[in-house]
Amino acid sequence: MSEALAGTEAERAESIRMIRDSAAAVAPRGGDTKRIRALRFQDPGYDPAVLRRMGELGWIGLRAPEAAGGAGLGMGELCALAEELGAGLAPEPLIPALLTATVLARAGERELLPRLLAGEIYAPTAWQERPDTLEVPGSPDAPRRFIPQAAGAELFLLPVREGGRIALYALPRAGADLALERTQDGGNFGTLRPALGEARRVADDAGALLAQALDEAALATAAYLLGVMERSFGLALDYLKTRQQFGRVIGSFQALQHRAADLRIQLGLTRASVESAAAALDAGAEGAARRAAVSRAKARAAEASLLVTRQVIQLHGGIGYTDEYDAGLYLRKAMVLANQFGSAALHRRRFLRDAPEGDEE
Amino acid sequence: MTAAPAAPAEPEDLNALDDEAFRLHVRRWIEANYPPELRHPPKRLHWKDNKVWYFKLAEKGWLCPGWPKEYGGMGLSPAKQIIFTEELERWGCARTNDHGIVLLGPLIINYGTEEQKRYFLPKILSGEHIWCQGYSEPNAGSDLASLRTEAVEDGDHYVVNGQKIWTTLAQDANWIFLLVRTDKQAKKQEGISFLLVPMDTPGITVKPIINLELHDEFCEVFFDNVRVPKRNLVGQINKGWDMAKALLGFERIYLGSPRQSAYALKGLRALAEHMGVWEEPEFRDRYARLRLDLEDLKAFYGVYVAKLRRGETLGPDVSMLKICQTELFQRIADAMLEIAGENAGLLGPIEGNRDLNPTGLYIQARPATIYGGSNEIQRNIVAKNVLGLPG
Repeated sequence: MSEALAGTEAERAESIRMIRDSAAAVAPRGGDTKRIRALRFQDPGYDPAVLRRMGELGWIGLRAPEAAGGAGLGMGELCALAEELGAGLAPEPLIPALLTATVLARAGERELLPRLLAGEIYAPTAWQERPDTLEVPGSPDAPRRFIPQAAGAELFLLPVREGGRIALYALPRAGADLALERTQDGGNFGTLRPALGEARRVADDAGALLAQALDEAALATAAYLLGVMERSFGLALDYLKTRQQFGRVIGSFQALQHRAADLRIQLGLTRASVESAAAALDAGAEGAARRAAVSRAKARAAEASLLVTRQVIQLHGGIGYTDEYDAGLYLRKAMVLANQFGSAALHRRRFLRDAPEGDEE
Repeated sequence: MTAAPAAPAEPEDLNALDDEAFRLHVRRWIEANYPPELRHPPKRLHWKDNKVWYFKLAEKGWLCPGWPKEYGGMGLSPAKQIIFTEELERWGCARTNDHGIVLLGPLIINYGTEEQKRYFLPKILSGEHIWCQGYSEPNAGSDLASLRTEAVEDGDHYVVNGQKIWTTLAQDANWIFLLVRTDKQAKKQEGISFLLVPMDTPGITVKPIINLELHDEFCEVFFDNVRVPKRNLVGQINKGWDMAKALLGFERIYLGSPRQSAYALKGLRALAEHMGVWEEPEFRDRYARLRLDLEDLKAFYGVYVAKLRRGETLGPDVSMLKICQTELFQRIADAMLEIAGENAGLLGPIEGNRDLNPTGLYIQARPATIYGGSNEIQRNIVAKNVLGLPG
C-alpha cells in the first residue's frame, strides 16, 4: 500500500511540474479573487461545477490506485496541487473529497467510487468527534463535527467502530440531522448526528486506511497553507515596493526589510518541510516515520501561516484591515485551515512521540 | 430585578473625593444606569444604538469628564478622568460617538473663539452635533503631515477639495473637523489648518468601508469644491498641526490601558477551560507568561497615571505603553486561536456564547497595532524622542 513510487527523480519532478501547470485551470496564477468573493457566505460556499472539473482533471482520484480508476500519483503531486489551490484560495473541498475517494478506492469499494472520483457528488468523511484531533473513535451515535463545506454534501461517509475494526457507512444527506455554521473564509462546517438506520455499510476494515488518509490530508493542508502564505506575502512585498510615506517607499525602511526577511525565512522553512515530508511519504515512509514527517510539516505550516498572514495585515496598515483588500482573505483562510487535521500543538506533541530515535543530530 | 440601593447624594466636588470613594461612586452609577444589553458589544456601535447611553451620560452631567465645569464638563483632574474611563471599561460600556467630547471639545476650549465656544460646546453636550475626525488620507497615514486635502481662500469662504479615509463613524456624524493644507509652499507641518465643516454641505460624499470584522466602522469622505465659511477655522491659519498634535499624547495613555488585555485574558481562560487544556502544563506556562505580562503592564500603566496625578504632562515615552498593551492584546488573541482547534475557523462565537469568541477577538486585535499611530511609528518615537537616536 505504501510502496515507494516508481520513476527517476527527473520523472517525478516533471510529473509535479505538470500537475502545477494543470492547477491553472482552476486557480490561475495572478488571477483575481472575484470568483472567491462571489462564493463567500453563500451556500454551499464553493462552486460544485468547479469540483466536477477537478474530478474530470483526475484530481479527486489523484491518490487512488490506477486499478480503481485513480491517477495513482504521489504526495509530491498532491502537495504541489494543494499549494497552487491555496495560492488561489480555491474554496472547493478538494482535500476532503480526495480523502473519501482515496479511502474507498484503497478499501476496494467500487460502487460509489466512480461518481466520487468524477466529482459528481461530494461525500466528506464525517470522522471527527471533538476539536483538534486525528483520532477516529467511531462512536455510533456521537455527533460528527467540523465537516468541511458540508452544505454541499450529498452523502456522508461515517466511520463506525465495530469490535476492533472501523467500518464505513454511507449516509445520504437527505433527511440527515445536519447543522451548519459559517466559517471565516465564507464556507461552512457541518455537525452531523449519525442515524445508522439510514446508512449503508460500504467498507469493513478501514481504520488503518483512514489513519493514513488523515495524515495525507494533514500534509496536503500544510501545502495548501504554504500557497496561502506565499500569495499573501507576495501582496505585502509588492506593497513594500510601491507604498510611499515620508518621501520614500516604505520597503526602504530597515525595520520593515528585516521583518520581510524573517517572514521569507518562514516561507522557506515551510516549503522545505512540506516538500521533504511529501518526498518521505513517496519514498515509502510508514507508521511512526510517516506521522513524524507529516507532523513536522503541519506544525510549521500552521504556525507560520498564521504569523505570515497577520504580519501581512500589519505591513499594509489600515488598508490591510479592509474587507475590500485581499490581505484579509488570506488571513481568514489561514484561520480556518491552520488547525484543521490537527493544530500546531497537536502535531508538535505527536512529532516528539513518533520521531525516530537518534534523529536529534 | 432587585431595587438599586438608594443613591447617595451627588457630592459637590467629585475631585475632593479620594480615589477609591470616587471610583465606587462612579461604579455604582454606571452599574445602575448602563443598558445591560449593550455590555461588551462585540463591535463598535453606531449612533442609533449607543445614543441611549450618550443621553444618559449627558443628563447626569457626566458626558465630558475632561471639560472644565464652566463649559458643562465634570472638570475632573486627569487622574480622576483615568479612573472614570477605567470604570466605563470595566463594565464593558460601549464607546459613544465621542469625537466631539474627547477631541474637538478640548480643542475648541483651548484654541476656539468665544463665539465658537458658545456655539459648538452646548451642541456637543446636547447630542445635537455628532462629530467625526478627518485627519488620515490615502497617502497620509503614518506620515500624516503629508496630507493634501486643500482649502483655498475664496472671499469669506474656504473651498475644500480632497479625500479623507479611516474616518470613524462618518456616516453617523453631522459635523466633521478637518486638517487641511492651506499653504503648499511652507514646510509640510506648517501649512496645515483646522476647519469645522457641516456634513450636509454640498460636495461632501461619505462612503463606508467594510473592515475585517465585516463592520462599517470607518468611512472615506470625499470633498469636491466644498465651501466652508472662514469663521469655521479654529486657531490661527497654518497652525492646525500643533493644535492637533497636542491632543494625541492623551490618546496614547488610553490606548495603553490594560483593560483590553485583561478582558481578553479572561476570554483566554474561559476558552482554555472549554477546550479542556486549562490544566495542561504547556498551556499553564503560556498563560502564566501572559498573566505576568498583564500584571507588569498594569504596573507600567500605573507609572503614567501617577505622573498625571502629580500634574505632570506625559512625554513621548508614553508610546511604550501603547506598544506593550496592543501587542499583549494580540499575543492573547493569538493564543486563543491556537488552542481553539477547528473553532479557530468559525465566523461567530463558539456555540453562540459571546464569552467564547476566539475568532472575533483575533480579528479585532489586528488593527490595535495600526490605529492611533502604528506601532512602527511609536517605536520611531521611542528611538528618536526618548533614546535620542539619530535619523
